[in-house]
Amino acid sequence: MEASVKYTETELVYLLKQRQQSAFSYLYDNYSGALLSVIINIVSDTELANDVLQEVFVKIWRQIESYDNTKGRLFTWMMNVARNASIDTVRSKGFQNSQQNQELTETLYDKGGSTQLHTDKIGLRKVVHELKDEYKVLIELAYFEGYTQDEISKMLDIPLGTVKTRLRTALTQLRGVIKQ
Amino acid sequence: MNIEAYISSGVIESYVLGMADAQEIAELEQLRLQYPAIQQAIDEFEESLEKTAFAAAVSPAPSVKNKLFFELENEFALPVKEKDKPSFAHNTPIVDIQSRINKTEEETIIETNFSTEQTKAVVKPLRYLKAVSVAAILLLIASASLNVYFYSKNNALDEQVTALLNDKNTLIASNKSMQVKYTDIYANLMVVSDTNVQKVVLKPVVGKEGSLATVYWNTFTKDVYVVADKLPKAPKGKQYQLWALVNGKPVDAGMIDGCNGVCKLKNTIQAQTFAITLEKTGGSESPDLTQLYVLGNVKSS
Repeated sequence: MEASVKYTETELVYLLKQRQQSAFSYLYDNYSGALLSVIINIVSDTELANDVLQEVFVKIWRQIESYDNTKGRLFTWMMNVARNASIDTVRSKGFQNSQQNQELTETLYDKGGSTQLHTDKIGLRKVVHELKDEYKVLIELAYFEGYTQDEISKMLDIPLGTVKTRLRTALTQLRGVIKQ
Repeated sequence: MNIEAYISSGVIESYVLGMADAQEIAELEQLRLQYPAIQQAIDEFEESLEKTAFAAAVSPAPSVKNKLFFELENEFALPVKEKDKPSFAHNTPIVDIQSRINKTEEETIIETNFSTEQTKAVVKPLRYLKAVSVAAILLLIASASLNVYFYSKNNALDEQVTALLNDKNTLIASNKSMQVKYTDIYANLMVVSDTNVQKVVLKPVVGKEGSLATVYWNTFTKDVYVVADKLPKAPKGKQYQLWALVNGKPVDAGMIDGCNGVCKLKNTIQAQTFAITLEKTGGSESPDLTQLYVLGNVKSS
């Protein structure tokens, strides 16, 4: 490995769009760890998360043409690819039947906040768990579980308007906490 | 427009995290071009997300990279001057990225998705490519004709399977109805072969020639069975009724209707003669002797 080589984001994206294997290798070496942390936030089983990681990199490789740097950083785009793939995995039938899902659901409704022991509480999810319970629950459902605001409104029996405003507040607070 | 309020509304985080709806996205993408403060807030949040993820980075299993590159093997651009073995790392250190890009353009063999200016690149092994293309086309034609062949063969097999399935269902259905018939016949046979059963043949009276019926009377259990398949079909509103004559008096022994082959009628304790008349549906209390069809005497034991 050429540890000395360092690409800027623009160069990297350019080379990826040229289908350069070396650029893709560089991308993997530099971003796979951070993306895996994003995936583990949603798919807590490490082995399964590694499978999702592979799938995510295939998607990144095949969809790089659709990445537009005027709409945000490369990492933000890849993070969203990773989040969507993870939520799809969690929602797939196979996963529903497995035990991991039970654990996730338990975590979700555990309002005591004493869930720090779980290995998936790293990175963003760890930050989210520093928020007040009423905010934490909303981000858990909307971001990590991928429910729509409508679904959350029904699930928690809170008016849709309240879900909207509370989620917005939760996100603003998240920005405050994440900066520290 | 209150920019401060917009920035602290949570819509930026929602956008970056991929949770904003279409309307919010459209609005934000417009505003970020107009207001640098909004652009800056987006950048900052993206950066802190990236930092958070990098701080929490988890090393993937070593096998993932190998599997990944194996899966995408055929999707990479042909490597430049790297004929011997595929390698994921660079062969030469690249200091200036721009020079690498220029070099790539000059030595390009085949690269898909290139901008038009790069298509001018000199392509050497054209002849080799031609041969390969011809071979590929031939293979394609062969493969296509095989597809057609297998497709039609498959269709034919499908039809056969459907026909066989239909046959099978028909056979199962007829087998079931045969079983029901057999069970009936067996039960009937058991009835008439009982050693306590007396067979009484009822013969036609004058004017009713051709009619015939048989009574099987179990003198032990007193069960009475009739086989009345040689009586004319009863007209609408009428039914045949069996009578037992006890010391010259007719006693109702039941209606013959709706039974298959052997009909079980009323138990009869005593009888010297059995007779059948045509009566109104539901039966009569005493027989209409003008409608007497058949009768027969019980053998005195």
